[in-house]
Amino acid sequence: MGSLVVFLVAFPLLAGGLLLGVRNGNLRNVIVVLAGLVVAGASIATAVTFGNGNAVFFDLPNGLTLGRSLLVVEIVIAAFVVAVGIHYRRILAPILVLGQLAISLYLELGGKTPELEPGRLFWFDRLSMVMILIIGIVGTLICVHSLGYMRGFHRSSPMIKGRRTVFFALLFVFLGAMFGLVTSNYLPLMQVFWEITTLCSFLLIGYTRTKETIGYAFDALNMNMLGGLGFSIAILMLSGQPDGLDLARLTAGPATAALLPALALLCLAGLTKAAQMPFSRWLLGAMYAPSPTSALLHSSTMVKAGVFLLLRLSPAIAGSNLGTLVAFTGMLTFLFVSLVGVTEQNTKKVLAYSTIGSLGLIVGCAGLGSPELIWVGMMIIIFHAVAKGLLFLVVGTIENRFYTKDMENFDALLSRLPKVSVLALIGISGMFIAPFGVVVAKWTAIRAFLDVPGWQGAALLVIMAFGSSLTIFYWGKLLIKVLAMRPMTQHERSIERRVSRFEWLAEITLAVGVVAVAALIGVISERVVGPQALATFKGTSQAFLHVEPAMLVTMIVALLFLPTLALWASRQKRYDMADFYAAGRPVTSAGVMGAALGGVRTVTLRNYYLEGVVNGALVFRAGTVVCGVLLIALLTVGMLAR
Amino acid sequence: MNPVVYGVLFVFLAPVFGGLLAGVDRITSARMQSRVGPPLLQPFYDLGKLLQKDARQVNPIVEPLLLGHVGFMAATGAMLLGGTDLIFVAFVFALAALFLVLAAGSVNSPYSFAGAERELIVLLASEPFFILMLAAICKVSGESSYGGVLNSAVMVAPKLPGVLLAFAFVATIKLRKSPFDISTSHHAHQELVSGLTSDMSGRLLGYVEMAHWYESAILAAFVVLFFNWSVPLGLLAFAVTYGAEVLVDNSTSRAKWQLVLRSTWVVTLLLVGGNVLALFLIK
Repeated sequence: MGSLVVFLVAFPLLAGGLLLGVRNGNLRNVIVVLAGLVVAGASIATAVTFGNGNAVFFDLPNGLTLGRSLLVVEIVIAAFVVAVGIHYRRILAPILVLGQLAISLYLELGGKTPELEPGRLFWFDRLSMVMILIIGIVGTLICVHSLGYMRGFHRSSPMIKGRRTVFFALLFVFLGAMFGLVTSNYLPLMQVFWEITTLCSFLLIGYTRTKETIGYAFDALNMNMLGGLGFSIAILMLSGQPDGLDLARLTAGPATAALLPALALLCLAGLTKAAQMPFSRWLLGAMYAPSPTSALLHSSTMVKAGVFLLLRLSPAIAGSNLGTLVAFTGMLTFLFVSLVGVTEQNTKKVLAYSTIGSLGLIVGCAGLGSPELIWVGMMIIIFHAVAKGLLFLVVGTIENRFYTKDMENFDALLSRLPKVSVLALIGISGMFIAPFGVVVAKWTAIRAFLDVPGWQGAALLVIMAFGSSLTIFYWGKLLIKVLAMRPMTQHERSIERRVSRFEWLAEITLAVGVVAVAALIGVISERVVGPQALATFKGTSQAFLHVEPAMLVTMIVALLFLPTLALWASRQKRYDMADFYAAGRPVTSAGVMGAALGGVRTVTLRNYYLEGVVNGALVFRAGTVVCGVLLIALLTVGMLAR
Repeated sequence: MNPVVYGVLFVFLAPVFGGLLAGVDRITSARMQSRVGPPLLQPFYDLGKLLQKDARQVNPIVEPLLLGHVGFMAATGAMLLGGTDLIFVAFVFALAALFLVLAAGSVNSPYSFAGAERELIVLLASEPFFILMLAAICKVSGESSYGGVLNSAVMVAPKLPGVLLAFAFVATIKLRKSPFDISTSHHAHQELVSGLTSDMSGRLLGYVEMAHWYESAILAAFVVLFFNWSVPLGLLAFAVTYGAEVLVDNSTSRAKWQLVLRSTWVVTLLLVGGNVLALFLIK
């Protein structure tokens, strides 16, 4: 077990290092595909070795110790951030990173770090297993997809200097750090991986090095470094406590008042990584990066690290005021971003809002904490990783064909890119079409909220009802655009042939994955997620683990309905069987109709964005303020508890 | 009796119920306008005629989407009466309604498209209500299935006056009555012509009509949930509500979508949210 986990961390780092030196495109393709296979295989092997076991703890194999290596990595990170900060004249990130370094130096060189009990460096349980599989499979598929995507990306943006060696190296380093993060038990170890992911995301978002993306990259860096500083201070506070840096023991049960300040700071770190309000802005900025970056940051890694930590902390904070505040930060973020999403026209940003919303739900579940809610949180992690990962990749493919991310330009997608559309439909159905995984999770959450006493229960229900209805609106609009059909010219029909092998491979595999997790929801629930939820909260009730057969059938039918009929319709000979209605004026099926006084007009159809009723920018600001206040309350509650 | 039997019965009997309701509706409306009106069974004759006619289809995807609309609407009712969890049913109900939006949106006609977008807005307006309504019913009765609520010793309606009142308001949307019929219109001279059904004819229009009948029956079943101690009383309450809707339909003009969205949300938030809050606070 130990050596497998170490391999999972080390191998991607080595592969990344190797890719840094590979300039030949074909060789790079071979290395990325092979390394991807190895990483995916190793993550599956780890899961199989772990089997259905209970949590295990272990050290580095062969008696190796960490020694001063963590400190060395931190110094390297700090030096890099300071250098970048000086180069771009940004002051905040260097200050934050130096603060972290100072704490580490004080603890490490001052000998203040308590001895960790031998054999407890790593912690592997079913939650780690789920994360390992997501990172290992979805993550590597995204790397493979990038091979095709980046070629198209640089073809369509010739102004941008290609640095693909760095890009692919970063992807793999990122994966390695994530593997380490989700298996760490020793908090300083986790923090180092945490910082590496922050740094990688900074570099990936700033890949194009335009003024715009550098600004967004620093947004991400500043916010995540702030969370990282919180993490450091928490470690400083916990180092005085017995077993304070042992995550499993720290979160074994409800925290004592003495631990709450540190836990509040760890929650802050989790909330920044999970891009919850008031920190949502960095994730939206990340949308200007190449699409595989968005897929990697959003679906399988970065943001999942934040909710992973909060799920870990859940048993310690649940039931306290701190837990309630964390839960409401997440749930209100879900409500606010869903409302903003309704007014958004950029498809990638719509996906980003949907992501932040889903993460908000998970945060809400982690904050409230109960076996049912941990179940919901993990289910959303799984379904979201597969379905949203697929959607980001598909949008990337579309974007490289149409040179736009605007939802309005995705008109008649089914006619223009039939196969890509079918994949998109599987992704959208997977994310939202009732009643698939995420919806089952929402339903279970509502059931659990009914038992939350006092005004909180009522508030959570209202938030949930409005939030999840809002998502119908933006997904519905996207579906209308995808499903519309019109006749195509020969040129338009040829566009799809230019989609690369790598993109097809990654997208089709993920689409199969979406269907597979839906079909296996019962097994996943009973074997993996359920036992984990019950182990986390020492629960005994098994009722929620059971998925009714009627529901399962509805789920599968609903999931496959749209993709299947879209596939069928796209294979029909004619996309226009008759003219549409245009108030009696003559029309052609390509959308040209006769106007008044003999003129001719092309029909343009635009979705509604609720102008005049919902002001997206205003709602976003309001959400930032409200959640900002909650965050201050959360930190205050934590501090006062002492 | 096994609840699954009720589910199957719903699939066959709901259209009869919905059709008769439409017949009564047309007669009542006609009397309100000082006309005699068609025979009671006219909606069935109309449906028969529609289903026999050839459909003029704009593209190949409209018909399967509409079949999905009817199918999922029937499935919603079957699951509701068949004992599936009520909150789960709320999600399937929304999915069923969405298929109609997609069918209309897939046509490139400006009229259909406007209708589809407006239908999406009314879906957005009404969906929070249905989720909260079913959640509140579960909370009050402590049950999660249709049969469970009907057999529960707790009387639901007295504890949910706000929700019941809001139901009368929101039902206007689902029954496509004025002032909330922003996505459809039966009047050719109006700005929408006939909204999201503009490009549906023949049997396609028949499917839309059938789905609407199922929808009416589902709404009636929801009202019965409130009056869980007496099914006849529940049906009577539905009849009264429906009568009021017809009256409102004949005495108001269509509202703008902004008003529909805002007013429905406000009503849901105040009446339903307030009612739910009271439930959680008063034990």
